[in-house]
Amino acid sequence: MTDDNRRNEQLARIARNNMGEAAADVPSEPIGLADPKISARGVNVFYGAKQAIKDVSIDVGMDNVVAFIGPSGCGKSTFLRTLNRMNDTIPIARVEGDIRLDGEDIYSPKMDVVQLRARVGMVFQKPNPFPKSIYDNVAYGPRIHGLASGKAELDEIVERSLQRAGLWNEVSDRLSDSGTALSGGQQQRLCIARAIAVDPEVILMDEPCSALDPIATAKIEELIHALRGQYAIVIVTHNMQQAARVSQRTAFFHLGTLVEYGKTSEIFTNPREEKTKDYITGRYG
Amino acid sequence: MIDTTPRFTVDGTRTAPTNWDSPDMRKRIARRYAAERRFKYLGMGAVILSAAFLAFLLYVMIGNGLSGFQRTEVALDVDFPALTGGTGAAALTGPSAENTAASLDLPGVVSVAVEAQYGETEVPIFSSGAWQIVQKRLLEDPALIEARQTMWLPASSELDIAAKEGGSAQAERLLAALRAGDAVQTGFNSSFLTGSDATDPAQAGIWSAFKGSLMTMLVTVILAFPIGVLAALYLEEYAPKNRWTDLIEVSINNLAAVPSIIFGLLGLVVFLNWFNMPRSAAIVGGLTLALMTMPIIVIAGRNAIKSVPPSIREAALGIGASPIQVVFHHVLPLALPGILTGTIIGMARALGETAPLLLIGMRAFIPTPPGGLTDPSTVLPVQIYLWSDEVNRGFVEKTSAAIIVLLLFLLSMNALAIYLRNKFETRW
Repeated sequence: MTDDNRRNEQLARIARNNMGEAAADVPSEPIGLADPKISARGVNVFYGAKQAIKDVSIDVGMDNVVAFIGPSGCGKSTFLRTLNRMNDTIPIARVEGDIRLDGEDIYSPKMDVVQLRARVGMVFQKPNPFPKSIYDNVAYGPRIHGLASGKAELDEIVERSLQRAGLWNEVSDRLSDSGTALSGGQQQRLCIARAIAVDPEVILMDEPCSALDPIATAKIEELIHALRGQYAIVIVTHNMQQAARVSQRTAFFHLGTLVEYGKTSEIFTNPREEKTKDYITGRYG
Repeated sequence: MIDTTPRFTVDGTRTAPTNWDSPDMRKRIARRYAAERRFKYLGMGAVILSAAFLAFLLYVMIGNGLSGFQRTEVALDVDFPALTGGTGAAALTGPSAENTAASLDLPGVVSVAVEAQYGETEVPIFSSGAWQIVQKRLLEDPALIEARQTMWLPASSELDIAAKEGGSAQAERLLAALRAGDAVQTGFNSSFLTGSDATDPAQAGIWSAFKGSLMTMLVTVILAFPIGVLAALYLEEYAPKNRWTDLIEVSINNLAAVPSIIFGLLGLVVFLNWFNMPRSAAIVGGLTLALMTMPIIVIAGRNAIKSVPPSIREAALGIGASPIQVVFHHVLPLALPGILTGTIIGMARALGETAPLLLIGMRAFIPTPPGGLTDPSTVLPVQIYLWSDEVNRGFVEKTSAAIIVLLLFLLSMNALAIYLRNKFETRW
């Protein structure tokens, strides 16, 4: 138990440090934010006959980073992908329940999926830049959505996005090089820049650091800190230290259910559920 | 040094350490090396054997065919002023030149000149089309008609054979006499490349068949490529995966394996009998070959599309690209090299196809090159087939020469494919 306690305290300390002043703003009641960006109620997801997500309700606010943690196969990625309807691409997937973005039902027939995905950007587990130049990678989104009226404006969007993704200084002199020639960490930041370029409101990150080395991971985490407040950010991670470092709120998933959702500091110091405690102390998962 | 520390099994008992030096072990290692060597030699043998076949084919074809690009020419003195009644150069210029040339009775002029110079011979000296060359040269340079000229004209087929590989006794005798008079030379047979099929091998040319092949291929690629690519895209990217699409997939795979002559029958019934399209025309040939090529393009296209990593699709969808944008901005450009390779393989097969075209009437004797898609035409492989059937020995070298032309056509098509593939290939 002493080991567990030490580990626990360490995570809690990381979480407290990271919260800083923001900690005070985070309400302690997890569900039912006053002004949620995304609000999900009673979400069930089925793959064919198999139920992958069971009755999940959660609110994501604008001003903080939410981490989804849980053992492999617990449904955290599946749930993340329901938030921008990426699950639509899987023919056997079926989503029930109510998910709202700014109060608008994203599964209503009136919702335009293409626009939704521009508003809710996504960064994937494996860096997946297009086999095009760095410039074209970032400019692709603005181009297809007609966000820039001319070359100058497009240049500006590309520069701003790369700067926000912390990549500008490394690539500014070789924008015409292929995006796939960058290192893994740079590729992932390029993918973040690409997502930012269409000016989304929410960024979903599906284990963005799992294919990266510790230094590249640290850079991405810094980036997430820098982006907090400008976008609502949801990050799925297997690394509990990472969840403690980057998030203000943490949701623990287990076997398709949302076991616990609350302030990151509380989840790691004082989990309400026995299962959460077992997981963050490394007893299983 | 061999490690001799004792090992333990799962239940904790000691076992003897593996002796990597035992005779059994050595034998095993020797057998492994022998197997690797055998496999390597077998593979090398297979490559060498196929290379030898290819080299043999090329050697035979080039050996037989090269002489098809050459022709024997014999000198002929033509006393134009005497034979044409003093027609002036002016009459052979202007719009009426052709009419004047026709009124000159050049066949007669040539035969009179031949008789005057060489007398009566056992075998004809000149090709029956020699006068056409005289006419062509006169129209090109009317001044020739105002003086006596020595013209080099193509020899008859018998003489040509005698000059190249030895012919009948009479032809050999005549050839020796002509050679003694320095009246024989070997020239480049330009009319083989520019002429059309003829009953006289000395006049037969490949151009009309080449043009027919070109037009047929054009129709095939214009139809089969877009339809095949669209079908592949729809099946891979849009179609739901269910029993019907499975059935379609199986059908397409089967269609690609259907013998080509059956496509010929299909073309005969559908295009000629139902739609009453013209017989022997390049457009019908192209349509028939397009039917045959389409399944190959669909299969190659689907494989190429399947090999585009799904992460690229997700990336594009994730920033709000519509399905059609995903397809045309990302999937298709990445799949294009593979699709092109498949298309060229299909086209190469279509180019060499004879059987289906025989059934839609493209085996006719076509003495003039087709002017349009609906004109009667023939294609290279059919021309080769027809010539290989001729009794006249002069056609043997023509057949080989035509094969060389067909192979060069194929080679340039493949080169184009490789160029296009490298051009569109994305470096990762």
